[in-house]
Amino acid sequence: MDQIEIRAWVHRGVRGLIVLTLLGLLTMSLPALMTGTPALAVLGVNASPDQIAAFMASLNLDRPAPERLWEWLSNAAGGDLGASLVTGRSLTDELAARLPITIELLLLGQVVALALTLPVAMASAWRPGGLLDRIATVTAFVLLSVPTFVFGLLGIMLFSVMLGLLPATGWVPFGIDPIGHLRHLVLPVLTIGLAEAAVLVRVLRADLITTMREPYVLASRSRGMGTARLMITRVLRPSSLTTMTLVGLGFGALFGGSALIETVFAIPGMGRLAVTAIGARDFPVIEMIVIFSGIAVFLAALAVDILYTFVDPRTRRAHARS
Amino acid sequence: MLTQEADTRPALSNSRSRVRTPGMRLDSRGSIIFAAVVLTIVIGGAVASMLIPQFDPLRADFSAAMQPPSPAHWFGTDATGRDIFARTMAGGLSSLVVAALTLAVGLVVGSFIGIVAGFFGRIVDEIIGTVIDLMLALPGLILIMVVVSLVGSDYWTIGLLIGTLTIPIFARIARSATLSVREREFVQAARLLGASRVRLMTQEIARTVLPSVLAYSFTAITVAIVAEGSLSFLGYGLQPPTPSWGSLIAEGRTHLAGAPWIMLAPAIVMCLTVLAVNILGERFTRKDT
Repeated sequence: MDQIEIRAWVHRGVRGLIVLTLLGLLTMSLPALMTGTPALAVLGVNASPDQIAAFMASLNLDRPAPERLWEWLSNAAGGDLGASLVTGRSLTDELAARLPITIELLLLGQVVALALTLPVAMASAWRPGGLLDRIATVTAFVLLSVPTFVFGLLGIMLFSVMLGLLPATGWVPFGIDPIGHLRHLVLPVLTIGLAEAAVLVRVLRADLITTMREPYVLASRSRGMGTARLMITRVLRPSSLTTMTLVGLGFGALFGGSALIETVFAIPGMGRLAVTAIGARDFPVIEMIVIFSGIAVFLAALAVDILYTFVDPRTRRAHARS
Repeated sequence: MLTQEADTRPALSNSRSRVRTPGMRLDSRGSIIFAAVVLTIVIGGAVASMLIPQFDPLRADFSAAMQPPSPAHWFGTDATGRDIFARTMAGGLSSLVVAALTLAVGLVVGSFIGIVAGFFGRIVDEIIGTVIDLMLALPGLILIMVVVSLVGSDYWTIGLLIGTLTIPIFARIARSATLSVREREFVQAARLLGASRVRLMTQEIARTVLPSVLAYSFTAITVAIVAEGSLSFLGYGLQPPTPSWGSLIAEGRTHLAGAPWIMLAPAIVMCLTVLAVNILGERFTRKDT
């Protein structure tokens, strides 16, 4: 690493920490901004101002945001994320139970997306304007216009209600019933995968075609390299940067997106937790989710930046300027 | 993740997919006509739902509940005998109003912030960049739901909130477009002629930044429609009795087996609308290159 590179990484890290701190402060000011509303949700609308103040004070919700953030962080460092106002459950337990579900869904969804994207985009870029390309392009464009929750519902209608092949909703832990677990996974994972693939195919196809016009590709071709080998060994790697960024951002948007999918399929993950918590104005839960979501975005962006430097070493320097 | 809710990622792909690639034209004459017809019907239906009493989305007729599509009720009726066609068209009104507000907020505020960041550079750029990163790191949909659960929801709140969601993308696009013209000759010339910074930004730069920002506007409209639908679906959008595509779909979900049209009608209209806007966006982007 030379100096420019180090400067770029330091800049990125500092910016990330500032963003995360601001995000934490903003999150911790939520209860204060929403004066008393969390208390009303728990105490009922007839609570007196004194009761509300006492309630807010008992949970430290009335203290300034920096103080609350510091306290949250020191507790979190000791493995204590607080407890839900409504159920009283420890959020550490809640996280341990739900996060793996959301991550499993998302991971498998992205795997399906990539498994679809790579062959389809390469086949498309093989002969731009050919029959395969036209079918793929139009399909991706139409899929792009279907909101995910609609997509999920259509899947339920077709495979569960009409054909009766798959369970519509719910979740079975792998340990209890491996087959049932997989059967419950199929629809949500396909929904995530297809929706994601619709975005990725368009991008990867365009980038592949652009790269195919580079002189070095022509040079390899003139030395007798077949299109398939050329595509996989020479073209794919430099064409994958935008696709990688999108996959990374997809991981970062962990909770917002899962709220919809998990509601459609009644899956007890983080997204479902978020929706329930918001309905109950359960602030400790909302705070935890917003903070973890910020951390997920930060880590995903960092991972993409690191991957970039492996895929295209030139970006090590170029990135410093952007 | 995912294309849904408020996925603002297609904006990123815009820059490169604008490189002209051979292949299927998604904005052929046929698609454009299709898009025009769909949008005319949706806009016409939205206006009709306000003006014509036959299209009252709230008129319940219990004797005609859960009817499949028929000449009397084109899209059938729901559990309380309300006409799904009328409700879908009225839902279109909600989507259009929210989309317009989103665009107004996102385009104006986002472009302004982006131009300022690009024009002044250095510390201003750094501060605005940090704020934009912060906005992108926030789970937008979840925070909108939090706000809605506390202050309630009407057109203004929802439009404003979803518009805020699109600000960082508009800002990024405007910023990079500003960077690319900031040092061009015509800007330098204006500067030498004594134009003030405000004039440079509002006249010279804003004009050249506009096409790239407008190109994203089509995506922003689809983001707004999908986000509004997602919020209503989750119960945090426009509150009943105001019909919205998302809440209509949520209602229909409970009748998937017996009366699938309740869910299908608004879902299909919603998808066709988004598709139509996407086609126009494709057309605009291509013309622009």
